[in-house]
Amino acid sequence: MLNPAIAQSVIDHALSLGANFAELFIEKHRTSSIDTLSDKVKSVDSGIDFGIGLRIVFGSKVLYGYTNQTDADSLKKIASNLSSRDLRERVNEFISFDYRKMSDHHPAKIVLSKNAAIDSKVEYLLKADAAARAVSESISQTRGYCMQREQEIEIFNSEGLHTGDTRNYIRSGLTSIASDGTEQATGGWNDGGLLGWELSDSMDPVYTGEEASRQALVNLSAKPCPSGKMPVVIGNGFGGVIFHEACGHLLETTSVAKKASVFHDQMGEMIASEVVNAVDDGTMNNEWGSINIDDEGMETQRTQLITNGKLTSFLVDRMGSEKTGYERTGSGRRQSYRYAPASRMRNTFIEAGDSEIDDMISSIDKGIYASHMGGGSVQPGTGEFNFAVTEGYYVEDGKIQYPVKSATLISTGPEVLKEISMVGKDFALACGMCGSVSGSIPTTVGQPALKVDTILVGGNA
Amino acid sequence: MTQQISETLSTASEQVFSRAKAAGAEADLIVLEGESLSLKANEGELEEHTVSNTQTFGVRVIKDDKVGIAYSEASDAESLQWMVDQALQNATYSAVEPDEKILEYQQSLRSDDAIFYPEDTGTVDEKIEMVLELEKGLVSKDRIKSSPYNGVAESSSSRYIFSSAGLNAASRSRMVYAYAYALAEEGEKNAMEGTGQMFRLTKELSIPTLIDEVADLSLNMLDGKPVPSKHYDVIFDRECQVELFSVFSMVLSGKAAKDGINPWREKIGEQVADSRLQYWDKPLLMDGFGYSLFDDEGTAAADTPFVVDGVFQNMMHNSVTAKHFGVKTSGHASRGARSTLGVGYHQLVIGEGTAAAAELNAGEYIEVTSMAGLHSGANPISGDFSLGVSGFLCRDGQRVQPVRGITVAGNFYKMLNQIQCIGDEQFWNWERSALMPSIRFADIAISGE
Repeated sequence: MLNPAIAQSVIDHALSLGANFAELFIEKHRTSSIDTLSDKVKSVDSGIDFGIGLRIVFGSKVLYGYTNQTDADSLKKIASNLSSRDLRERVNEFISFDYRKMSDHHPAKIVLSKNAAIDSKVEYLLKADAAARAVSESISQTRGYCMQREQEIEIFNSEGLHTGDTRNYIRSGLTSIASDGTEQATGGWNDGGLLGWELSDSMDPVYTGEEASRQALVNLSAKPCPSGKMPVVIGNGFGGVIFHEACGHLLETTSVAKKASVFHDQMGEMIASEVVNAVDDGTMNNEWGSINIDDEGMETQRTQLITNGKLTSFLVDRMGSEKTGYERTGSGRRQSYRYAPASRMRNTFIEAGDSEIDDMISSIDKGIYASHMGGGSVQPGTGEFNFAVTEGYYVEDGKIQYPVKSATLISTGPEVLKEISMVGKDFALACGMCGSVSGSIPTTVGQPALKVDTILVGGNA
Repeated sequence: MTQQISETLSTASEQVFSRAKAAGAEADLIVLEGESLSLKANEGELEEHTVSNTQTFGVRVIKDDKVGIAYSEASDAESLQWMVDQALQNATYSAVEPDEKILEYQQSLRSDDAIFYPEDTGTVDEKIEMVLELEKGLVSKDRIKSSPYNGVAESSSSRYIFSSAGLNAASRSRMVYAYAYALAEEGEKNAMEGTGQMFRLTKELSIPTLIDEVADLSLNMLDGKPVPSKHYDVIFDRECQVELFSVFSMVLSGKAAKDGINPWREKIGEQVADSRLQYWDKPLLMDGFGYSLFDDEGTAAADTPFVVDGVFQNMMHNSVTAKHFGVKTSGHASRGARSTLGVGYHQLVIGEGTAAAAELNAGEYIEVTSMAGLHSGANPISGDFSLGVSGFLCRDGQRVQPVRGITVAGNFYKMLNQIQCIGDEQFWNWERSALMPSIRFADIAISGE
């Protein structure tokens, strides 16, 4: 996308100003989205983002600029402006680019630049809507969406790296709204991956619609949730957001390097119950959070974060490695050319254990079964996190009693990881978006069902 | 000083409309331009220095009562032509929307640069000194271990709206801001809190004040612990209260009402809140950063009463939702370069009540100063919320215990009928997006010990 001669002249210019390291990140990003409301196509829109991010490093200081301009003069001007307070004699020589074509582990067939497949997507969404509204007359509305993206990236750096990749993202889902005339409740279902619209081969629009409506109707009939500390069984798939928030963010060197993570000095220590094994894996074929290379041009990896409760690795990007001394893990990620990269999660999950979910529920005297979860957030410095239950049930005497309204669960990472007493067999992954210092990126969460012996449930009963 | 439209932009808009008209479509074009500078410090050094300069074009075409949207970050003639063609193609898939038209505005509109885009003599070097002072000042405080998140930044943005009917509108604004979070530690205890300042000019920033505020917030929370689970009266501080009203602003949306998901869609003229609640949008308050002279269709913005004496009066409308409900547009059209036509408020305002501090702060209550998980723990369609919060247990206006590790839960729309009293003084939040008095809500579920 950028002439290597221009890239060379800009990077060499940055080095001539005394930079230790310089990098160009070029991005062309096609997008297409379709929104439906009930049985109508609400909107179809599309576009192309294009820009270049220039990162210059002086010691531990990161200078970053971005622009839509592609000419050498504009890019050099950014380099000069950014470096004007750090000028010094050249410390590194330019190394000629050695283009490296990385293997593509995430092939895609129906991609945006060749076939937006709008008719097929509309058909899928309208079938899901019909299935959703056929469930009950109480389903008052549905909202569907299909978002497809094709992100081409190219990276040059002063160490001679020249590489690139094309990432095809697809995500589709439906929200059902149930109403009894006075109150409204919602339910939803979505799927996605790092592939093209061939994802539809593995999705059933009838299931999507019926599942969204089932959740909405359950929530419409839900009673206020009890509050206080109690045992909670967290369902598989998106339930993995608990690990994402309680631990994953705290293992990113973005926080670790600043000692702004409660785990920054815990490498090799037991930080979780010994039944917990956790992984962040960027290599899983066609998974939503996968990548071939990270946004610093490094081939991505599978990273074993926790083994039998013991902390075994952080998630490390280039600057994190410089500051902490840990090896890079191919975890440098960013939303777009508008952000400098930072260490981020990819597909993050707790591995399967050997417990049955029925045994988990039957072990509860009074507590909650959170079968579906929403998003969450964490304060890395203190480890305080929260995540939302979107479908939950009150459990008493080992049996599910009735559905409860949505509630937030809160704790701290160090506490909750030690409260996980049972890990199930029913492993599943689910896709989501993760927001942090380098923007909003696709990440996968996952886990089998697991039991947390005690956590604060924020009910309103 | 008045904003001028460059020849490049004029040419671009002519190209876009020429292409659209040739295809038998009417169109409007939004162009967003932005410049920014962001500085962060760590361990006494400048850690990050980011600059940007971007431009985005977004077109909306309407042909045969169907609407299509497309955008481009490239401004060359070929890219703009591609953008219009994409929008035309997208329109063929959309449902017929007879109410959506390009409005017949032919005027030129400009905001006042002297007020909203004042010349700032503050230099980059001054801002670097400020961010270094901010971080250094925080870590020099007793028990403040670090300031993991901090920054001094400035941004300026320009918004242009052109239409094939002849609209030619431009506005721009500038802001500078500083923010910081401080990690406090004492033995096994820790806490991290933060806040910020936002102004038009660099010289208005007060770094020493910000250092003291952030340090106090974090240090005050060090001894925080849960309170017993029960129902309390709750006052959300000026930041949290604005966040809550913003998250649940769907009830004001004419678009959500047209789409059948706004829970207040059939409640115009009905009592929806305590009779003392006065809830407005006031886009022309010049002290706020949400000031708007016109909306994204070019309609003049004006004060809109949403709730008067607790009775729901008006929703936010653009021209499409207004036609649907048989009313006039309220000047709340909202559209980004990448998005379809929606509605959005400018500056939320709640009228002051009658409660003096003594009444507002009488007896026991929880003051919420920080909320987490608003994006996931609040459902605007149902009104239900459950959030992790921290703050203070207070008695008679005195903070008697810092509180953390608790949740607050309820239904926001029902909570508007659980107002104990409304304070007699209004405050801007630090981002200066809303002007509200403190509201004391009664009998709210708190989960703790």
